[in-house]
Amino acid sequence: MAATYLGKVAAMITRLRRIPFWSWFWFLLGTLYFILPLYATLEFSLEMERDRISLLAYERAFADPEFIETFVYSNLLAIATIIISIILIVPTAYWIRLRVPEARRIVEFITLLPFVIPAIILVFGLIRIYSSPVQVPLTDITLLQPLTNFNLGTNILIVAGYMVLAMPYMYRSVDTGMRTVDVRTLTEAAQSLGASWLTIIARVILPNIRAALLSGALLTFAIVVGEVTLASFLGVPAFGPYLFLLGQHRAYEPAALSFTSFLLTWLAMGIIQLVTGGQGQAAGAH
Amino acid sequence: MAFLTLSNISKQFADTYAVRDFNLDVEKGEFVSFLGPSGCGKTTTLRMVAGFENPTSGRITLNNSDITDKAPNQRNVGMVFQSYALFPNMTVAQNIGFGLRVHKEKESAIKDRVREMLAIINLEDRGDSYPYQLSGGQQQRVALARALAIRPQVLLLDEPLSALDAKIRVALRAEIRSIQQRLGITTIYVTHDQEEALSLSDRIVVMNVGVIEQVGTPFQIYNFPETAFVASFVGTLNTAIAEIVDCPNRLLRLDGIQLVTADDLQGRQNGERVRIAIRPERFSFVTEEKKANVIDCRIENITFLGAIVRIQVLIGSAKFYMDTFNNPFLELPKIGEQTQITCSREAVLVLGDAPEPEG
Repeated sequence: MAATYLGKVAAMITRLRRIPFWSWFWFLLGTLYFILPLYATLEFSLEMERDRISLLAYERAFADPEFIETFVYSNLLAIATIIISIILIVPTAYWIRLRVPEARRIVEFITLLPFVIPAIILVFGLIRIYSSPVQVPLTDITLLQPLTNFNLGTNILIVAGYMVLAMPYMYRSVDTGMRTVDVRTLTEAAQSLGASWLTIIARVILPNIRAALLSGALLTFAIVVGEVTLASFLGVPAFGPYLFLLGQHRAYEPAALSFTSFLLTWLAMGIIQLVTGGQGQAAGAH
Repeated sequence: MAFLTLSNISKQFADTYAVRDFNLDVEKGEFVSFLGPSGCGKTTTLRMVAGFENPTSGRITLNNSDITDKAPNQRNVGMVFQSYALFPNMTVAQNIGFGLRVHKEKESAIKDRVREMLAIINLEDRGDSYPYQLSGGQQQRVALARALAIRPQVLLLDEPLSALDAKIRVALRAEIRSIQQRLGITTIYVTHDQEEALSLSDRIVVMNVGVIEQVGTPFQIYNFPETAFVASFVGTLNTAIAEIVDCPNRLLRLDGIQLVTADDLQGRQNGERVRIAIRPERFSFVTEEKKANVIDCRIENITFLGAIVRIQVLIGSAKFYMDTFNNPFLELPKIGEQTQITCSREAVLVLGDAPEPEG
């Protein structure tokens, strides 16, 4: 048993030795680029008490009821954004791959627009349009009160805004996922077996792009939880503005919360690896 | 009325016809192959039967029901794809049972049917495996079982063996034919491999540039090709241009050598140029037995192809191939030697008018 294990370790070392020097160099440089700021944040967050390392900044940050409130609220917004994005983007990307591949460039361009149109423009556009009541044309009959006037309306607006911000990441993840499976042939195979469109998407397409969906969901989650502009201007109690305000008045707690959010992101990535490990193997062997 | 009928089917993509005026009747339990080169419209026709393409014109009826406008999932037609198209997220058993679950059959009935199908394809112990754990041949057998599990009215196979290596291809095609005969299922098989079509089919539809060239049994297609295309596409063929010298007596002249054919030359005139064809295996060396045609020739080359020896001969200025079975005691002439070969009058096929000479 031990001999087998040692053999495996030796084989791994031999494999690692075969990797060229410059590959190692660039890998380590990249790792340092990401790790050093994180380490600095961690070290700073542990230095709240003079001359000793402590978790005081974490205790204080977590004890603040506003932290829990804003964090839970942002998480709910993130979940809503992810669900609605999947409902909208998966069928869109699927249909484009299947039936209108010529529209792919146009849709890709549209999904990239959030990169060139700042969030501030988006939020002012939303406020300008949805702060007036929706009326039947040419009459005074009001169909809908201004969405900005009530909580549900504001939540709908902010989720819609987040969907736009997350669209480049979600669309690209889903599209890449669909590229790894032969969507057209799988669809036709399922159709010939009697499956409806809904069955095909739910039981054939979605399970086979699970890894891509989780990646898109993770990126969406990270964007929504840290987003400041939309949340501030729409006046919702989200985590982003809370962290921003905290940073203006305190030193150590924001560092503690930033490090915590990094850990949560890494945890989520780990879960994705665990959940999709089998699928990756399957896709690779296929 | 035939079980499956394709009447005046055409399919147009932009300005191009992929299939034009396709008519075919397929009887229940029949195995029909669509044979032709890439782009001849055979897959498009199959996809129209499956419902993945809509015909530009024409009707398709299946078991006395017009299915032309039915969605693919309403046709009860099983399809096997070249790339297997197994669902990677499902096990072999789940793949086979997928269609039955879609049709909301009882779980116990699904289990029984999956077991039955696994037995038919000889993969009883691989029900829990995922597609990526199977070889290409095994994956295609699972795809076949999945298509058959729903008890389709017609089974459609789109070049199912093209992605497999030669040995597995031969073994699997025999298995496909055996399963088809056992279940008596009406089958349409698309291939560009003439050997596959000849060995599997009850009838072959030879297609070229979107139209049917000939429909017939493998025997008819090989031995009595009706067009130059069929003759050249199916099997190896020697073709040459000959001149008619005596219509009533069916005499032709090829580079000064006289040939007699069994084909009717009525309606043609002496001096007319026609394209003739002779299969390599119809030639033999002149020994004591002389057939209707005795031809002087020179041996140009000899190639061993395993069971067959292919000899290239020069007849006049035309190069012809002649095939003879290999055996350890075969006595072959030497390269460059003058000799005589012979063939029957039935071996000389008149395919049609020769192209006009250039210049």
